[in-house]
Amino acid sequence: MSGAAQIPVRPRRAWTPSQIVLTLLGTAVSVVFLSPLAWALFTSLKSETEAVAVPPRWLPREWTGQAWSAIFENGNITNWFVNSLVVSVCVTTVVLAVSALAGYGFARTEFRGKGALMGVVMAGLMVSPAVLGVPLFTTVQQMGMVDTYWGMILPQCAPAAMVYILYKFFQGIPRELEEAAFIDGAGRWRVFFTIVVPLARPSLAAVGIFTFIASWNNFLWPYMVTNNPDLMTMPNGIATVMNSYGIQWAQLMAGGLMAGLPLIVVFVFFQRQIVAGVAHTGLAGQ
Amino acid sequence: MGQPGLNRRQMLAGLGGLTIAGSFGFAALGTGADALASGARTRVRYWNLFSGGDGYNMVSMLDAFREEHPDVAVKDSTLQWGNPFYTKLAMAAAGNRAPDLGVMHLGRVTGFSPGRLLDPWDVGLLAKYGVREADFNPELWRRAVIDGKLYALPLDIHVQLCFYRKDVLRKAGLLGSDGRMISPASADEWFAMLEEARAATKKGLQTIGLWLNDQNFQWWFFVAFYTQLGGTWFDEARTEVTFDTDKATQVLEFLRRHITDGYANPNFGGGAGAEQFINGSPFAWEGNWSVPVFDTAKVDYGATPLPPVFGRQATHAESHAFVLPHQSGRGGAANEGAHQLAAYIVKNARAWAGGGHIPAYTPILTTPGYRKLNPQSEYVSAMDHQATEPKVWFAGSTGILAQRIGPVIVSSTMGSAKPDAAARRMKSALTGLLAMKNPMDGKTAAQGGAVA
Amino acid sequence: MTTTSAETVIVPARARTATESATARRKQGFQHGGWFVAPFLALFALFVVWPLLRGLWLSFTDANISGEGASFVGLDNYREALQDDVMWEALGHSAYFTLLVVPCITVLAFLLAMLAHHIERGKWLWRLCFFAPFLLPSTVAANLWQWLFNPGTGMINHVFGIDTPWLTDKAYAMLAVVLTTLWWTVGFSFLLYLAALQGIPGHLYEAAKLDGANAWHRMVHITLPMLRNITGLVIALQILASLQVFDQAVVMQDFGPGPEGSTRTFVQYTLEEGFTSYRVGYASAISIIFFVIIAAVALARMWLLRNREEGGR
Repeated sequence: MSGAAQIPVRPRRAWTPSQIVLTLLGTAVSVVFLSPLAWALFTSLKSETEAVAVPPRWLPREWTGQAWSAIFENGNITNWFVNSLVVSVCVTTVVLAVSALAGYGFARTEFRGKGALMGVVMAGLMVSPAVLGVPLFTTVQQMGMVDTYWGMILPQCAPAAMVYILYKFFQGIPRELEEAAFIDGAGRWRVFFTIVVPLARPSLAAVGIFTFIASWNNFLWPYMVTNNPDLMTMPNGIATVMNSYGIQWAQLMAGGLMAGLPLIVVFVFFQRQIVAGVAHTGLAGQ
Repeated sequence: MGQPGLNRRQMLAGLGGLTIAGSFGFAALGTGADALASGARTRVRYWNLFSGGDGYNMVSMLDAFREEHPDVAVKDSTLQWGNPFYTKLAMAAAGNRAPDLGVMHLGRVTGFSPGRLLDPWDVGLLAKYGVREADFNPELWRRAVIDGKLYALPLDIHVQLCFYRKDVLRKAGLLGSDGRMISPASADEWFAMLEEARAATKKGLQTIGLWLNDQNFQWWFFVAFYTQLGGTWFDEARTEVTFDTDKATQVLEFLRRHITDGYANPNFGGGAGAEQFINGSPFAWEGNWSVPVFDTAKVDYGATPLPPVFGRQATHAESHAFVLPHQSGRGGAANEGAHQLAAYIVKNARAWAGGGHIPAYTPILTTPGYRKLNPQSEYVSAMDHQATEPKVWFAGSTGILAQRIGPVIVSSTMGSAKPDAAARRMKSALTGLLAMKNPMDGKTAAQGGAVA
Repeated sequence: MTTTSAETVIVPARARTATESATARRKQGFQHGGWFVAPFLALFALFVVWPLLRGLWLSFTDANISGEGASFVGLDNYREALQDDVMWEALGHSAYFTLLVVPCITVLAFLLAMLAHHIERGKWLWRLCFFAPFLLPSTVAANLWQWLFNPGTGMINHVFGIDTPWLTDKAYAMLAVVLTTLWWTVGFSFLLYLAALQGIPGHLYEAAKLDGANAWHRMVHITLPMLRNITGLVIALQILASLQVFDQAVVMQDFGPGPEGSTRTFVQYTLEEGFTSYRVGYASAISIIFFVIIAAVALARMWLLRNREEGGR
């Protein structure tokens, strides 16, 4: 954001030799980075037989949308898309609400055992479904939430890292603002919603974006807790159900692009915010 | 982009709000989009692990069922074959969200905790839909009964086969007068055949594909040849390992020799073996489920049981069976629908035989339509000399036994371990397994852990 | 530089004498904050603390997947784990993966960031290109590379004119997972580096230029030292994430352990024991062992940070 503001006038520099070399280098590296995606796209536009032709060819000899129409006819993909959306939106909403409150609570308010609780939450940074998947599954199993949306959503809703990031942020806000409002007689909740939340909007956006990406792409936990293909999210369904039909590479690539493209399109439009969000949440770990 | 107008911002906010509200509504409802769309008819959720040609055959049988029984809505789901499937099935049953009907390998049923993760079949209900014990191979039926209750309804028997290309073998002079592959009587004869076949093979193709680095296939092949040698695993009481490391070494050396003599190329060690076969490679050891694959590819081929290189016939065999995954409230229309569907498919398994499987429902075997199937008729004899895994709780397709032993066999075949060392490792793994308690009931194999 | 930092918020200085009641009200405003943290703590207790305690308890039992009939077995599971070759191998695989991925990602991310930072045109384009793979789900990235590495029909062997059995040979299988991971996740560290590069005050370079420092000197004496903190962070995040590798490895090997078990990671082994062999008790025990390892790494980092006096923050 301020990157642009620092240099008010940005004259178009000439193409110096070093700029030409760098740009060429950048282009080459970009091609390497994007070619797998292009390969996926072209594969998805081949027939299944052409997809497995030896030797492989970059472009389809015959362009066909059969893989794309097949995955839509099959219907699973649209189900999974909806499921992914439901889970990611719910997770993001709950995480934002819960971690904003908690971050503020830890940063600003006083209550008994605060220090100890904060320590416990920090220790929680080390626990993830990858580390404690089996006990987490049995817990959710006990609650009767295996193969439910809530079983997928709720365990993703206690991210200590997000609380920590917002805690750091709220600590940086000058106290005087809130104090003044208290003196004016505003209630605690009103101060939180009318003064603190608006101030924290960039940080909240960062946390929200990061949470959404993480949740949309999350595989491990949904994989553990859902078995019913009707309830699977995109990454899970593609890996465990679509793969099961054997070598249908064109369809698999089409499905993969369906799962990946929404975020990439969103990225193109909201690049600034997303970059800020990822960098901000990442950097906050410092 | 410019300053977004207030209207656009309001619209975005409204849209966002709607999405959030909708998502929570959906989550609260708790069913997938698909279940919402489906009507109020009886809905039978059916999970299977059939991919490729089997998958297509299963779907066509389901479609036939749907046509005849429009009142039953079948929601079938195909999951990734092997352990991922068993994991999902077990976790769903443990979480009390199991489907109404599932498919399993018969060898896995004992270890799948009948009574806890599986519900028994209602034999009366099956009879109502026309399926009776008398219609099955008694041995097969016996394997499906545990503690006097029927836990699995067998669908088929499937075996490991030696597929061969008639065009190449004809050129190499390896076809008999009946147009079928001549049968080798020893390992040396077998390798002599490979040598001649290699000379008749197009450049750039391997001579035989045998899933060199696949722990399941290597284990199945091992079971077949070890059985040919008359090898055993455990004593009757399941207290002692009777595994014969000399015989095992012999088998492992035999498997390894396919690579060292240059007949099998490690680069085509997996599924690429079938692609090579379609392109002109003379041999491929595959499950009988590859029959439709090679049929579709219009290959001129035949299939026999794995060659009896150690003197007597034996080839690995397993069986697909329908099961009722545990539901705490099993019963009602969905349960009856599951019985109806399973019975229908077992009785109409003629289409299933097109996938290379030998139907378990014996009346099908005597129909003229089945007898005409080729190459099924060439290998139907495999039924009579099945090599199966030992009957213990840790056995069965992709079970713990295969998981522990399979990699050891692969390491020997691929050359990273010496055959005799691998055989010793196998023996110690078997010893460990025999001492291991079945996690579902805390009993070792000797204590009869879950085995009737 | 990434978001409006708190320092830039201008506080309207209100001239107000703090009366006694105002002070009281002010103080009261910050009291009894328990309600703010309650919702989070509830979720945290249910889905983090409780599973941890439960896992600890289960690790002393022979619990199975059905959730019934567990009995106490003391330290048996831990005793078995210490002698479990497969577990140690799996730990080795995860460590090997980490050892390969972390330095590669760190160096590559730094180089990409330098590149994107110094090209004056089309910044957004470079950012998009290098970061886009990170936006794919892990399973999609893994499927894609599984397809690229495929023998015969795969593009990689074709393009480079080689014949490497990437997915079927134990010497290459983990390498294939590493390459996939590099492509898929380097964008994240790249962004962190880019943000850090943009945060280095320009006047430092100006001053160095006046002193006659060439580009190399400026990099060695300004850029690298200024990036020390972020490098520490990138390495720490990558180590913790890499040790927990699971998705790519299983998807690229069709949920199997890879050729001769060479891509079986620790996480995969815990799930195999818990959900495939149904040994929830034993799986819990090795999960706890894994938790201790992860915690040790995290604590070691904190200790390192604390012991380092210098550094921006």
